[in-house]
Amino acid sequence: MQKNKAHEMICAVRARAAARGINASFSLHREMSHLMRIGNNSVSLNTSENLTRLDIEVINGRRTGSHTQMGDVTSEEYVEKALQIAVDKAEVASPKDYQPISVVVEATVAENAQYDQSLEHLDPAFKADAYQQIIDNVGAAYNFSGSWSSGSVELFLVSTANDMTMHHLATDQDFNVVLKHPQKKWELRQCKSGWRLEHFDVDDVIEGFRQLLPTYEDHAGFKLEPGEYTVVLGSSALAEVLMMACYTGLFGRSYEEKQGWTSKNKMGDQVLGTNINLVDDPAEDKTFRFGFDMAGKVRGNFPLVKDGVMMNLMYDTMTAAKYGRQPTGHTGGSPSIVMKPGSASPDLLEAVKGMGRVIYIPALHYLNIPNPSQGVFTGSSRFNAVLVENGKVVSPIFSSRITDSFQNVFGNVRLISSEAESVNLSNTYGRRAPEAASMPSYIVADKVKITDSADSF
Amino acid sequence: MSLSADLKKQILQNIDRVVSAGAEYTDARFYTNDDSETLFLYDGNLEANDTNFESGLGVRVLYGGAWGFAATSDAKMMNACFDQALQNAITAAKLVRVPLHMAKKPGHTGHFASPLKQDPFTVPLKEKLDFLSAIDARLKEDWICKRYVYAEFQKKNIFFFNSEGTQVERNLSNVFAKMMVMALDTDGQMQRRSQELFTTGKGTRGYEMLTQPELFSTHAERIKDELSQLIKADALEYGKRSVILLPGQGFLQVHETIGHPLELDRILGYELSYAGGSFVDLDSFGKLRYGSDKLSVSAFGSIENSPGSYGFDDEGTPERDYLLIDKGLLVNALSSRPMIDEANQKAGRTVFSESGGAARATAFYRAPIDRMTNVNILPGNDGTLADIIASTKDGVVLDNPVSWSIGSNREHFHFSTEIAWEVKDGKKTRILRNPSYQGHTVEFYNSLSAVGDASTWCVYQVDNCGKGEPNQIMQLGHGIPVVRFDNVITGERK
Repeated sequence: MQKNKAHEMICAVRARAAARGINASFSLHREMSHLMRIGNNSVSLNTSENLTRLDIEVINGRRTGSHTQMGDVTSEEYVEKALQIAVDKAEVASPKDYQPISVVVEATVAENAQYDQSLEHLDPAFKADAYQQIIDNVGAAYNFSGSWSSGSVELFLVSTANDMTMHHLATDQDFNVVLKHPQKKWELRQCKSGWRLEHFDVDDVIEGFRQLLPTYEDHAGFKLEPGEYTVVLGSSALAEVLMMACYTGLFGRSYEEKQGWTSKNKMGDQVLGTNINLVDDPAEDKTFRFGFDMAGKVRGNFPLVKDGVMMNLMYDTMTAAKYGRQPTGHTGGSPSIVMKPGSASPDLLEAVKGMGRVIYIPALHYLNIPNPSQGVFTGSSRFNAVLVENGKVVSPIFSSRITDSFQNVFGNVRLISSEAESVNLSNTYGRRAPEAASMPSYIVADKVKITDSADSF
Repeated sequence: MSLSADLKKQILQNIDRVVSAGAEYTDARFYTNDDSETLFLYDGNLEANDTNFESGLGVRVLYGGAWGFAATSDAKMMNACFDQALQNAITAAKLVRVPLHMAKKPGHTGHFASPLKQDPFTVPLKEKLDFLSAIDARLKEDWICKRYVYAEFQKKNIFFFNSEGTQVERNLSNVFAKMMVMALDTDGQMQRRSQELFTTGKGTRGYEMLTQPELFSTHAERIKDELSQLIKADALEYGKRSVILLPGQGFLQVHETIGHPLELDRILGYELSYAGGSFVDLDSFGKLRYGSDKLSVSAFGSIENSPGSYGFDDEGTPERDYLLIDKGLLVNALSSRPMIDEANQKAGRTVFSESGGAARATAFYRAPIDRMTNVNILPGNDGTLADIIASTKDGVVLDNPVSWSIGSNREHFHFSTEIAWEVKDGKKTRILRNPSYQGHTVEFYNSLSAVGDASTWCVYQVDNCGKGEPNQIMQLGHGIPVVRFDNVITGERK
């Protein structure tokens, strides 16, 4: 790992804190973020943010306090001052009725396997030029909007438990562009995700639009009546639904507190269809890989659901401490959720040839959980959704709502694509937080409930 | 915290420098502090005892019809930050089909401070924890599985400067709080009741707001009592009926299906790739019957005490009180200076005469975008909640969101709520669990059949409205009376 003054200052303060008997962890989050946004075929915003945050957590017996300070770490005094705020907070805090688990850095880690300098320092002009090419080649008569976020995140974690350090440096990008017809109002989208600049290919984006446009230009929208349908969920929609299923059913907190859809089950129970396999795999390159969590635990391959059977739950340190479990490497950070591909042809239209009418929903908008105990989710179709009959695209569909349960959808999966895709799930609320899942390019599920539809896209 | 004379001088010199380099407009926001404190008691355990301190500079430059933005948390990098913002604007100007402009405005000076008596950050931590722990103790019962008491305090000192000579200082304070109890129902499913700290729209918004019993703590016993009935209740059956929304649910209905669709940047297509667009277009203003003639909706509403009352927006524009919907007719939008300029250009007429003062940024490191201020349904003439129930044949009274999901252009929605009270022939009959309802926005608001009077109106605070790329969380308010809508699909189809 490169020598870094800020790291050295933090380590010096860590050593003094340890000598004073303070139980503390220090994590440094540095981001170099760039985002270009376009709207109405123009660049509407071009931003650069270089931000540094120091997070300090102190455990004093059963009392805890934490403090985050934004700003460059310029001196040991700066770190000391932030530490003292957390120490003071812990001193006054009310004690918990369980013993908090301290951050213990399990091993010295220095990872940069997903770092691409050319992406970190990408000239924004490259992005403007790519958007220009898309608009020029697909057609300036359409209305284009979109965003392209790229940048790097550096994490540095130490604690007073030992001298070991964890360091992570990685790049990520999340590109999307939406084409809207100015009169007919339908919206098409192309996305690219990855940690290398080469994961973006402008020709792919242009070709993607060219393939979709005839269906939309030549056919009126189709309104689905409420009922049960055979539905194809594309990778983006699939990731959205599966991540919700994980948060509400496969995290220890929701399970222990009987709030989730798996709460009446136990390990080894069949909770989803026998063809569903989920794993948190930080070695999977289609995800943004974090080899450790913010509690200092080294992360490894962690099966969640095998052949539909619940294998493990993800525990953060707070939940583990409260319920007497072992933390599993899921304290902060981003999981690398992988759904194992199946054996169906990557060519979706080929795969659904003999199925009659199917609804293809590549992306879902505004997913939420009306009833977590029952595993009920709801969300509506968005971008590129079409009606397919006997392997042929018939027409685009109007905005349609699915309200169904995880158990029903993932209990009735007929086909799973053999091809995997990376789905970007990052957000930039507050700090840059890259996250991606590896999903089959589609699944076909029977008896999916469409509960409402609009008269528009 | 004040801004030093030296920093102010540097900011003004840099603005002049960037304008001399060809920028059409430049503004800078310096946050001397942006502090927050979060306290969270879960089952009596203090799970969050956090503070977050931020400070820094955000610079926005309009050059060649395009925006560039840069931010730094290091004041020593001020010159570089201005240079970066200018360079970003120059790069952005390479791809401009619709040039953006700021209509020329004379500069002005101003100051705004949230009304408060006691700065929450001066209250000792122990005192705050004792207060929250006392509420937690009131929520405790053997049959209650989970208790949740949360408070968040925010304080921002923001200094705004622009190339028109405007200089504005703002000292903003917010207090948010929520309590919740959960218990298992007869089917082993978790049910919950909650209450958020709300305001009457009057008064001050320091620590004293949190400790005003009627705004928060006295609701502890009520939510426990309601939960005790909820866990034994039947589920709401699918069917069409009237829904009466209490302000605890009405605020989110308005937020999602009036507030967001009327953000002008959405209407112009700037959020399509993320938060979504709007079914409203520029032709809709002055023409679209958004709701029945009982529906009048204001922006800001001159509410004294709300997170959506902030004096001046992040372009220095004074916050403005105006109608968005007038007796059912759509008349205006939530807007900023560049968006109204673009909208008027695009429409070929003056759709909007002035900025709505709604350009807001969550932090110094984000550029302002069109946001909600206070979006409020004006009180009506249909009496109290009891009066509205008495005039309802078949309906449910609904309170507090569990889930919300809205179509990408805000044209349709699905909500589930914590609790329903069945209403039959003008009387509340029983509590029902797992309530939900869905509808299509314009059809729904045109079915508005009753609007409660001022006695039913209060301000719900929103502390986590998400929008924009890079993502921004915003705080705002909704003044809402009790409202009734007819012929609404409720419950889930079997």
